[in-house]
Amino acid sequence: MQVKLPNLGEGAGSSPVASVLVSVGDTVEKDQTILELEMEKSVVPVPSSAGGKVTKVYVSVGDKIGVGDPILDLEGAGDAGDSGEASGGGDSEPAPKAKPAAAPAPARSSRAGRESVSFDDYFDFEEEIDPNAPMPPASPSVRRTAREIGVDLRRIHGTGGGGRVIMSDLRAFVRWCQMTAFRQAGEAAREGVFQPRSKPSIDFSQFGEISKKPMSSLRKVIAERMVENKNTLPHVTQFDSVDITDLNALRKKLAPAYKEKGSNLTMTVITLMAVVRALKKHPIFNASLDEVTEEIILKEYYHIGMAVDSDAGLMVPVIRNADRKSPLELATDLKTLAAKVRDRQISGDEMKGGSFTISNQGAIGGGHFTPIINKPETAIMGVGQSSLQPAVVDGQIVPRLLMPITISYDHRLIDGGTAARFTVDLKNAFTEITEADLAL
Amino acid sequence: MDPIKAQVVVIGGGPGGYAAAFYAADQGKQVILIEKDEKLGGVCLNRGCIPSKALLHASKMIHEARESAHRGITFGEPTIDLEKLRNWKNSILNKLSSGIVGLAKSRNVEVMHGRGHFEDSHTLRVESSEGQKYISFEHAIIATGSRAALPRVFDLGNPRIMTSRAALEVEEVPEELLVIGGGYIGMELGSVYSILGSKVTLVEALPALIAAADPDLVRPVAKFAEENFKEVRLNTKITSMSTKGAKIKVGVEFPDGEKRDELYDRVLVSVGRVPANGELGLENTRVELDEKGFIKVNERQQTRDSNIYAIGDCVGGLMLAHKASKEARIAVEVITGQDSLWDNFMVPAVVFTDPEIAWVGITEQEARKEGKKVKVAKFPWSASGRALTYDRTDGLTKIIVEEESERILGIGIVGHGAGELIGEATLAVEMGATVRDVAETIHAHPTLSETIMESAEAFFGHATHLAGKKH
Repeated sequence: MQVKLPNLGEGAGSSPVASVLVSVGDTVEKDQTILELEMEKSVVPVPSSAGGKVTKVYVSVGDKIGVGDPILDLEGAGDAGDSGEASGGGDSEPAPKAKPAAAPAPARSSRAGRESVSFDDYFDFEEEIDPNAPMPPASPSVRRTAREIGVDLRRIHGTGGGGRVIMSDLRAFVRWCQMTAFRQAGEAAREGVFQPRSKPSIDFSQFGEISKKPMSSLRKVIAERMVENKNTLPHVTQFDSVDITDLNALRKKLAPAYKEKGSNLTMTVITLMAVVRALKKHPIFNASLDEVTEEIILKEYYHIGMAVDSDAGLMVPVIRNADRKSPLELATDLKTLAAKVRDRQISGDEMKGGSFTISNQGAIGGGHFTPIINKPETAIMGVGQSSLQPAVVDGQIVPRLLMPITISYDHRLIDGGTAARFTVDLKNAFTEITEADLAL
Repeated sequence: MDPIKAQVVVIGGGPGGYAAAFYAADQGKQVILIEKDEKLGGVCLNRGCIPSKALLHASKMIHEARESAHRGITFGEPTIDLEKLRNWKNSILNKLSSGIVGLAKSRNVEVMHGRGHFEDSHTLRVESSEGQKYISFEHAIIATGSRAALPRVFDLGNPRIMTSRAALEVEEVPEELLVIGGGYIGMELGSVYSILGSKVTLVEALPALIAAADPDLVRPVAKFAEENFKEVRLNTKITSMSTKGAKIKVGVEFPDGEKRDELYDRVLVSVGRVPANGELGLENTRVELDEKGFIKVNERQQTRDSNIYAIGDCVGGLMLAHKASKEARIAVEVITGQDSLWDNFMVPAVVFTDPEIAWVGITEQEARKEGKKVKVAKFPWSASGRALTYDRTDGLTKIIVEEESERILGIGIVGHGAGELIGEATLAVEMGATVRDVAETIHAHPTLSETIMESAEAFFGHATHLAGKKH
């Protein structure tokens, strides 16, 4: 049976394949991640719709695929007849990037799976074009336009009958050229951060034992985003600590009831509640800047991104409408999303649309840190590990449980005073959470 | 005297020259058009395409009247008033020529009658009836055309030895006419004279008539010649010519080597055309000529002198009016700064014999010679209902198709009205159509244009009106 790209949300459009995690001969389980797509600056895993042995892989890294495009053929799954047919013969060979005159047939037939093939099937990028090679058939108007914009039609495998180049082929070619140019510029910039082309790689083995592994596509995306966010936003980070001694006690008291419901009342849940309350008082922290129209967009919704640590790397699933959810619902959402991230089942849509982000390292350790704003949001909260600290209460030094918090904000939109006021209100929001707020 | 200034000066008022002048004016240029004759229109209008078509039409009427007896309509022998025929023909020429004058006026194109002579790369001297004028130009377009070749051995100064120019005047219908050259001019004018009553002997040095066209397209025309001419001699040469009283004595060398002297009342020499570039003063410019005297131009119609362009017959290639008009557009577009060039455009060719032969793109014989992998699909007009109603089933439509891509590389047609049918064929080839494109285009019934569709269908082995056999 054939595994096709399911609807991953967002529906229309096509996305480049970031990585293919299976190859012919592998056995896959249903829902196992078989490839990853690059969508909107995040990498989205694609689960297999069935289990079985892989007999054919239709896609490779860089291909753009859309909903319904074939990904794999599986044997021993669902209906076997289909797979036998699809895996037979040598037609899995990629279309040769041959001379245009020789290639019209594959270019035409691959048109059936619109955009499911690489653009290289349409366009010829061998640097040299044989000046004696014949021109493909094209109408005078297409020939004139090509000449005027300086396109050699021999680079285009026409989609018209007989390999005829039509105006839409010419347009697609120009778009492709532009896209490629920008993508290459992007790649060059990305490489420039980690491995400047002008400098040779350092041979670290001269200093001692090393091992190497390739950067995963998710890691590359993270890297690109971090560089962009850090370099384009003027970050200021506000430090503070919240006394959660009483809140923690309350949490422990109520935790068993949550446990009974199969959920966990964590300090993250409480933090979410406090954050939403503070955001409501300070809408600029729940906003975005449209750099094109130079408008500030204030959001009436509270979708809170939660930075989740995974084996593969950082992912930020989003809890929707956190303001309308009970602590139990928040706790359940958190648990579900974290599990999805761990199993790489999280969809692209589930990582989109956040209006504010919380990065909580409390479970791991460490104190204050300076998180990087998750563009196009305007601020991010960092939470460190709570610890007993000497504190002054009523003139006495007493041990109190203090939770380190930081707020990194976009100084273009948010002034220092505003940030200080937000921090104060955020701290107050914690202390104002009562048993009634949390009780089931 | 200060020279007259012109942004564009065009030398020659034929279909290349006036098209260039008009288009340049339409593009906002200030234009002067130089014409050595009294009338605009060049050879095409005054001594070529148009008068020959008028005579062909008139003679075809006679022929068709004769051919209608078996359809139950019998006419008496026609009486031919040559003067009236000439006047009718000339009235067409006058109408067209004055039309061009009007079009020039409406565009503010100044028409100057006289001979142009380059003084240097920016100055043209015009010898007109009003005396000398000097034009200082930014750009010049040479469109001086061609004239019928008259090899020296035939050039006795005897008016009964004619080129097409004199033959089109139809001073008389000679009893015995010798036509030298079986190309399109010899065949067209030979047909006219044979129907008007001359006994026509046609001599061709090559083994075929209209050698540029595929033999299967020429066959019906050759048949017409065999039936209506006194004799058609291939592989035959004319070795000498002299005046003998009121007749012309001609030395004929037959393919078997036999030599014979024959007497004719008139001789039509139609052995090709030569460029009319003489006395232009090109030696005062950087314009270069090739070994045959044609002006050398690049694909943008530029001569070696960067601001002097040349178009039409005087640059050689296919000597056809419509090719000159296209080159006129290219030259003007380059002058006005557009990125224009001769982009391997398709030039249809039409021979206005009876029946007409027309073709565009590659011919079958060219394809075979070049070793191209092509398939040829044919549709004989005997299967066309429309051809039957015209009582003209002596036609054939063929499509030359590139095997791998199924792209149409050429179309050839022989038959009644082939010259009109070639328009669709030209569009198909120019657009890079495939044989399926044409097969799937609906053609009106009953028309001869269906033969184009049916020949395309024949490529796939399913032409409706052909017996179902694979090609």
